[in-house]
Amino acid sequence: MTGCERVNRMFARQDQDRVPRHDAYWPETIARWQREGLQWDQADALRLLGADFQTLCWSWPSAFPGQRVVLSQDAETETVRDAWGGVARFWKGRSGTPEHISFGCDSREAWEKTYRPAMLAAANEINPQLAALRYHEGRACGKWNHLAGVEGFEALRRLIGDEACLIAMIEDPEWVRDIVRVHTDIVLRSFEGVLAEGVAPDGLWIYGDMAYNHATMCSPAMYRELVWPAHKRMADWAHAHGMKVIYHTDGRVSGVLDLYIAAGFECLQPIEAKAGMDIRDFAPTHGDRLAMFGNIDVMKMATNDLGLIEEEIRVKFAAGMATRGYAYHSDHSVPPQVSWKTYQAIIGFVERYGTY
Amino acid sequence: MPQLTDLTAAVAAGKRTDTVRITQELLAAGIGPEAIVEKGLVPGMAIVGDQFKRNEIFVPEMLVAARAMKEALKILEPLLATAGIKPKYTALIGTVQGDLHDIGKNLISMMWRGANFAVVDLGTNVSPERYLAAAQEHKANIIGLSALLTTTMPAMKETVRILKAAGLPNMKIMIGGAPITQAFADDIGADGYAADAGTAVDVAKRLVGEAA
Repeated sequence: MTGCERVNRMFARQDQDRVPRHDAYWPETIARWQREGLQWDQADALRLLGADFQTLCWSWPSAFPGQRVVLSQDAETETVRDAWGGVARFWKGRSGTPEHISFGCDSREAWEKTYRPAMLAAANEINPQLAALRYHEGRACGKWNHLAGVEGFEALRRLIGDEACLIAMIEDPEWVRDIVRVHTDIVLRSFEGVLAEGVAPDGLWIYGDMAYNHATMCSPAMYRELVWPAHKRMADWAHAHGMKVIYHTDGRVSGVLDLYIAAGFECLQPIEAKAGMDIRDFAPTHGDRLAMFGNIDVMKMATNDLGLIEEEIRVKFAAGMATRGYAYHSDHSVPPQVSWKTYQAIIGFVERYGTY
Repeated sequence: MPQLTDLTAAVAAGKRTDTVRITQELLAAGIGPEAIVEKGLVPGMAIVGDQFKRNEIFVPEMLVAARAMKEALKILEPLLATAGIKPKYTALIGTVQGDLHDIGKNLISMMWRGANFAVVDLGTNVSPERYLAAAQEHKANIIGLSALLTTTMPAMKETVRILKAAGLPNMKIMIGGAPITQAFADDIGADGYAADAGTAVDVAKRLVGEAA
């Protein structure tokens, strides 16, 4: 069974030989593993895992594609004006969330006069020919080929900042709708360019963190009113082109699972255990309509306690596989506390407990 | 004339213009700034915290309420300073060394201010030494450590170790952030853990000996 067949059968809740697999790693994790025996890079770790997914392209439209002006720096960090016109401080040579210092798009006026026209006029950052090349590579090795792109809420936060975004959701909802709508227009337009190359992706993987460890950032009603229509639009577009839809969000989203299903999302990833998400809770209630991709607790991985990790994989796999709609992924990104020896054992557990 | 309860309701609803207007009217009616804070604004933010914990409101509603309170405090703080009235407790907050994330820290900071703590925000990427120096300078009752990343949890442990070793009197350490749990707080010797911004007020009050 190829990866593509396996993932498609997962979506159809049909028998598979084993659960589909994919994972994500912090760059520091790969650096550690290279010191401990990993021969090459992240792709090598995914190959050893037996990953089934192939990303063709990544769409996150910005106002000023390619802009990265270093405004200042010290030994550890550099402060940069980025492609969205904002100023943020990043670590040098280290992963992690940047500190957002200011946002160029700081008012509706700035959006309408500068950022909206700039985004609409900006060049497509996706190279359709490269995406097509990856598509044919993916087909040749049996991978599940997918487009990947950021959705409107994540784009909104990146453009105007968390605080302004969340306040605008109350005080200026039409502005929020407009940003989300324009962003979605551009993302779908860029994907159309890929399809024009004659490729037929298997799926669309939508990225947008809309929750944290307590709940969704906004209420389900506000999500339904302001962001959900764009989610549905992306899913409808994907379905019209024969694709399945995976939605990525961190955080506790148990209060909006029904809205995800209504939008047309068919799979949720990575299902963050440390935010209180547990597939054992919702596999019985939602597993027939929403495939589950992930939920293996990285905090347990980080202990390097193989007994604890094996039990985590055993019980979560049992719950997920009972629905035939489950794929392996860590519940976020594998952190550098996890040794290469431990991750090799994890691959073994995934093999042992993930075989149907 | 509006009542203090009207101010409470305006803050809880995040009505900035009403909050400012009622604050000014209460002052004009001879209500003291301390009473306006303690009996008008703080109860309003307490309602917000409780609703937030129960998922009856979410971050946007909390932000507009905190902003309304901040506008009222702009009017009241000069009057409080003139009268020599300070908040009873001081809290420091920062994101630990190696971590530049700040939204969680900022939400806690807003809610602590809403509970009438004096809050000193140390920013992000705060070294243990900076926490300690600031704790000594401000005679802090509460020190809040935030971390978003699993990779920065060891920095949290080291900061707690250094602060505890300093043996500052009446100082309690609270931790929080996406990867943090009560078990981790217990493991590294922190005095308190809060899973969300509403709970952070309750925990801070409990640690300083006030009823939550």
